Amino acid sequence: MAQVPVQTIHRDPQLFYWILIPITVVMILTGMLRHYATVLMATAPKKQELPAIKEQRSLIRGVNLRANQYNISPASFEARKNYLVSAYETGAFLKDPEKKGQTAANPMTDPAAMEGMMGMMKGNMAMIVPQTLIMGWINAFFAGFVIIKLPFPLTIKFKSMLQAGVATRDMDPQWMSSISWYVLCIFGLQSVFNYLLGSDNAASQMQQQMGQMGPGAGANMFGPGQDPDKQFQSEAENLAVLAHHYILEGVEDRLLETVKVR
Amino acid sequence: MSSSLLHPPAHLPPSVALKLSQGAPALLRTTPSSISSYSLSSLFRAAETPELWTVYENLMLSCLRTGDEQSAHLCLERLTNRFGADNERLMALRGLFQEAIAEDDAALQIVLKEYETILNNDPSNMPVSKRRIALLKTLTKIPEAITALNQFLESSPTDAEAWAELADLYVVQGMYQQGIFALEEVLLITPNAWNMHARLGEVLYMAAISNDFEANKYLSESLRRFCRSIELCDDYLRGYYGLKLTSSKLLSSSSQSSKQSKSDTAPLPTSTVERLNELATAKLSEIVRRSAGGEKGWTGYDQAEVIAAQALLDQDKVSITR
Repeated sequence: MAQVPVQTIHRDPQLFYWILIPITVVMILTGMLRHYATVLMATAPKKQELPAIKEQRSLIRGVNLRANQYNISPASFEARKNYLVSAYETGAFLKDPEKKGQTAANPMTDPAAMEGMMGMMKGNMAMIVPQTLIMGWINAFFAGFVIIKLPFPLTIKFKSMLQAGVATRDMDPQWMSSISWYVLCIFGLQSVFNYLLGSDNAASQMQQQMGQMGPGAGANMFGPGQDPDKQFQSEAENLAVLAHHYILEGVEDRLLETVKVR
Repeated sequence: MSSSLLHPPAHLPPSVALKLSQGAPALLRTTPSSISSYSLSSLFRAAETPELWTVYENLMLSCLRTGDEQSAHLCLERLTNRFGADNERLMALRGLFQEAIAEDDAALQIVLKEYETILNNDPSNMPVSKRRIALLKTLTKIPEAITALNQFLESSPTDAEAWAELADLYVVQGMYQQGIFALEEVLLITPNAWNMHARLGEVLYMAAISNDFEANKYLSESLRRFCRSIELCDDYLRGYYGLKLTSSKLLSSSSQSSKQSKSDTAPLPTSTVERLNELATAKLSEIVRRSAGGEKGWTGYDQAEVIAAQALLDQDKVSITR
């Protein structure tokens, strides 16, 4: 079987100094710049007004009562249940009681929700703008350069990943084009940023992407578009149908069975 | 940096607090005086950690406890440099510092005025409203403190700390019913806090001995609370102490009057109470013996509590021999 001859391409060593290193340095610097830009642009979390705090915590109180009802005596539970259910049903804890019964406001018109969306927009813009600029820069100056040869063999599948922008069918996948080096930098510089900027930096975009995929479930509970009155009504219903049991019932027998004096 | 600086200093024994505050000047010298978040130099220095600020806060509290106001002020200044003077938590800390250096009640009144101005501008400032309540308590204006706490809990009913404080204030005032209610709220937030179960048992016991009406109902409820707290935490001294106290009381009262008042739960049979009393006595003497012997794993008890348990046991012995 004939040995496939090893491809050799004579490259100007200057390619290495004037393409590979500049791209890497520029990527690191933009990452740092983006980190500081995000830090500067970030708005402090908006302070909640007292009625809003009251609304949320009163709901949590009902949830707590439902979850931990076994700790208090039936009489105490009954009193609390009646109080909370009637208060929930009349909307006594609502942020603005006169709005009770209206349909949920469009989240777009709610200024608080808009602010949250603006924050997200800012984060996205801080990623998209520099990315576009650098991509344009690389396309304009370094398109079509083959810059390094990887020191290990690769299968043909890697060709599309490593030789973006270089349309040669027969070139060995070990050769790498400048645009591919750029793409590799985007994903590979995470640990460099962690080292330079601390672990919770804004430059590592992988984290940002993760954050967008699954925002915390807790944040959603009181998020925009949720009608607090509906939540109160359903909580009132949950409380009203709850069957109470008391943990102190028979605790003395349980204790006598389990505790042994040595 | 010792790890005890990362815990809130309220529960540190005085000796530890003293040691921490004596080490404060050295610690303050070794840590950088200011860390700004956006500067190039932060690239080359050790990264800022949240622990550092926790250490500053706790160090300040320890220093205030031991009277090292200079170090406390330094801590406060560094925290202010980092987080800004209008940070809610720092406003409360600064108020705390001013309370600590206040010479007399008049100075405290001025601090109280300041708190009220802050709260007028921003009623949702939770740390400062808590400080205001604590200051009212310091000035022995208990009814005002209770009113303020009730207002606070109106808007923030999931704050276990505030409910517990309210319970204490009510008990001080002798309003046991209200105290019991507040402690039940604490238990609804922290269902497995055995110390809160025991505390509720204690308040129920106090309620039982302060009024004859329905005393038995309270006593058996109290006994069950102590049982629950022991169930949650083995070898809990306060739980056994209360268990012994309530069961003895129940035994003596049931021999006087056999009539059982109506209660939520089934009445306790006398035999069970007797067995519980025996169990508590045995367990208490075991704890006292092992703790006095310094056995491994038995040394964590509070000295005062062990002595109290010993006294309770001795009392029992005297009444038997008599």
